[in-house]
Amino acid sequence: MLASSRGFPRATFARMSPQMRLKAIWLLPPAAWFVVFLLVPYLITATYSFGHMQSYRYVPGFSLANYARIFTTAPYSGAIAQSAEIGLLTAVFSSILAYPVAMVMAFRVTRAAARSALYLLVILPWWASYLVKAYAWKTILGPHGILNSLLLSLHVVESPITILLYNTASVVLTLTYIFTPFAVLSIYASLERIPASLLEAAEDLGAGGMEIFWRIILPLSVPGLLAGGVITFALGFGDFVAPALLGGADTLMISTIMINLLGVANDRPLASAIGIIIVILAFLLIGVMGWAERRVTVRI
Amino acid sequence: MRAIGSSRALLAACVLVMLFLYLPLFVMVVMSFNAGDSVGLPFTGFSLAWYARLFGNAQIMHAIINSLIVAVGTVAISLPLGVMAAVGLDRYEFPGKAVFRRIVLLPLILPGVITGVSLLNFYIINGVRLSLATIIFGQGTALVCVSLTEVFARLQQLGRSQYEAAQDLGAGESECFFRVILPNISGAVVGAALISASISLDEIAVTYLLTGRQNTLPMVIWSLLRREATPLVNAAGTLMVVATAILVTLGLRLSRSGAEAAE
Amino acid sequence: MPPAIELVGISKDFTGHVRAVDDVSLAIEAGHLVCLLGSSGCGKTTLLRIIAGLESPSSGRIMLEGRDITDLPARERNMRMMFQDYALFPHMSVAENIAFGLTIGPARRRLPKADIQARVERYLDMVQLGPQRDRKPHALSGGQRQRVALARALATEPPVVLFDEPLGSLDAGMRRSMQGELRQIHAELGKTFVFVTHDQEEALSMSDRIGVMSGGRLLQYGSPEDVYKRPESRFVAQFLGRSNFLAATVQTAEPGVARLALLNASCIVAGRADLHPGQRVTVMFRANHAVPAGSAPPGALHVEGLATQRRYFGDYAEHTLRLASGEQVFLQTPPDAAIVDGMLRMAVPAARLNVLVD
Repeated sequence: MLASSRGFPRATFARMSPQMRLKAIWLLPPAAWFVVFLLVPYLITATYSFGHMQSYRYVPGFSLANYARIFTTAPYSGAIAQSAEIGLLTAVFSSILAYPVAMVMAFRVTRAAARSALYLLVILPWWASYLVKAYAWKTILGPHGILNSLLLSLHVVESPITILLYNTASVVLTLTYIFTPFAVLSIYASLERIPASLLEAAEDLGAGGMEIFWRIILPLSVPGLLAGGVITFALGFGDFVAPALLGGADTLMISTIMINLLGVANDRPLASAIGIIIVILAFLLIGVMGWAERRVTVRI
Repeated sequence: MRAIGSSRALLAACVLVMLFLYLPLFVMVVMSFNAGDSVGLPFTGFSLAWYARLFGNAQIMHAIINSLIVAVGTVAISLPLGVMAAVGLDRYEFPGKAVFRRIVLLPLILPGVITGVSLLNFYIINGVRLSLATIIFGQGTALVCVSLTEVFARLQQLGRSQYEAAQDLGAGESECFFRVILPNISGAVVGAALISASISLDEIAVTYLLTGRQNTLPMVIWSLLRREATPLVNAAGTLMVVATAILVTLGLRLSRSGAEAAE
Repeated sequence: MPPAIELVGISKDFTGHVRAVDDVSLAIEAGHLVCLLGSSGCGKTTLLRIIAGLESPSSGRIMLEGRDITDLPARERNMRMMFQDYALFPHMSVAENIAFGLTIGPARRRLPKADIQARVERYLDMVQLGPQRDRKPHALSGGQRQRVALARALATEPPVVLFDEPLGSLDAGMRRSMQGELRQIHAELGKTFVFVTHDQEEALSMSDRIGVMSGGRLLQYGSPEDVYKRPESRFVAQFLGRSNFLAATVQTAEPGVARLALLNASCIVAGRADLHPGQRVTVMFRANHAVPAGSAPPGALHVEGLATQRRYFGDYAEHTLRLASGEQVFLQTPPDAAIVDGMLRMAVPAARLNVLVD
């Protein structure tokens, strides 16, 4: 029934062994979907990337001119680097903030009900609207915002401070804020797998709190740290909301550029080229992630 | 254990981080009740005026409905595909398995804009007009990996024995799936559905590029934010936080009890 | 010389009004190998953890070589514990695991590097794991992992080492040989070892002293012979060895001698101060103390009945007997003992009868 509804050649299907038939039933639909809606679009995008725009019309071509432009001219070449930098800072800071919370969740809170409650508290900000969270920081950091109002009323400063807004720092701050819950969950998943007896053994052998952290907890939590870090990096890298709301002239992210190219500038081939480059980078990143995970995972 | 658990510094750090996490949300919620016109301070009085204006704003109301339609459609597409792929990956070996896994994970790592651009090109070539449907297909494709990872993890936890026992007792494949496997993974499935729905409701990158004339809520809010700062945004944001809170709590309760019942 | 470990009135309550340890007082002599014996849930592991400092007692005090350590955290007590699941650090090699206790703490209090290396080598040799020094725990067998855990605990050379059911997950053959090895290491090092186990054979064969626990209370503490031959309570008698219990009534009780009526016969046993005529008591004897009726010494208690079941154990056979009084006993005989018309006629020497007043 499933076979004929998918228009699959019935003869071929009938000739397969039952095992293979089952395999096909489970795997073909998603595979087919991905081919049509993921791979084909990438191929089309690749095709576009070799063309160029002439007088607002698309001209197909076969050149790598777009790619050359990206790697050599500003702002494109700098944008990829800057996006990567922001992504990296976000990953690092959110991991640092995440550790205390994850450790308290894993080691301090033992009753199931309390742990669920804490888990919920950590997840909630993660699920609150992304736009709204970014915007909320704008209200806090702006010249008429909460922070400045507080500082002014306490007479700490004479006029509103502006270094906190419209620059790379505010973007990193906002993105760190947004991704910390995710980092907590990721690191917690690793910490949860550490048997309590390991920590007790370390304590029994005479190790103090910090020693236990550096020598036992941290090394064993690296898989979760890495998994969360990579995704946080990727999400920070590709973000355009935070830079749009809080970034300044010096914050040029690759996603913002792409949106401009598709809107006002109307240069779809160039945008496509950037897209292809990032797809390749992402693929490499996943590969590195897999390799790193294998090297770092300790069988507990 | 006691050394780590009872460290005061650790607890203090944890509390500080949690305060950091909740501060902007708190500000937003408080400000949504601000009677005055400004988005930030001063707080001139307690008022529900902005909520009233929110509900009176037809554009926003339409957008909410559109967002719900998109969310349902997205889950309808990504959930079955994700479950099927998860079962396939858990059970079978096939050539190109590693590549398949990576391709599926790609939308998770890629900036949403890229996924959006690719699909945009695809639609343009095929002459498809942008609409809610194009958004649904775009988000659905991107979110398959969410259902896939959730269900896959649960399947790995579950192991083969129940499936094999059912087969040994003579059950056919669909019987096996609906009567043995599905009940056991129901927690993960529900969890994945809710997570996908929440992501879809808040999604902006893919949506931005694939929107036709119908807007979703994030799109409307985005344009509001770009134009001018109005406290309307605070009200909308607060409502979204409450809605998401309810969804997430429900989702966690359901997936927890599902997992417990299965054990 | 003060006892190595002294417990005074230790009790531990967990939430939910569960009294895991109930007023235990105990003095462990330095250099002894002591086993805390009991079935699961009797509180022996909790008591061990209290000694180690991983749990704190709800009341009572602990003394280590005369010093009160009740309020000291685990890391400051100079004793080491070997955990039931070995708790090896999976990301460190065997040598690094063993060296761990020696590489922590402020630098000035640590041994010089060369000394640390020498010690690690010494204990690697002691547990015969030299060639495996660079392997990670997941690449070792269960028995090997256990030796690493042992070497790690010993490397810091503490005066007291605690063992939480160390041989639980080994098969019978390995258990025997490890028991021997542990005994040997103990004799070599002269430290105080405290074991927790539920295996009575292990406790009997290895220890200098056994502490039998049940329901959080310490029922008896003495040498293996004391505990086995002179159990002070029914539980202790039942826990060690295969025991039988028969109801009896005291007929006469004099300073050195008492006469008991049981199994339609009369029997003379050693006198006890707490016996008086007419009292109902329980008489206990071990299954392996029965001898064939024909070769019974004078004054023995004759036990005969219908042999309803026979279990073969290689070196001996165990028979279940239904007595005329309706009671059921277990008796051990040589593997090929004769049964005549389904009846088994045995006797227990009077000296092997224990009187229990519950």
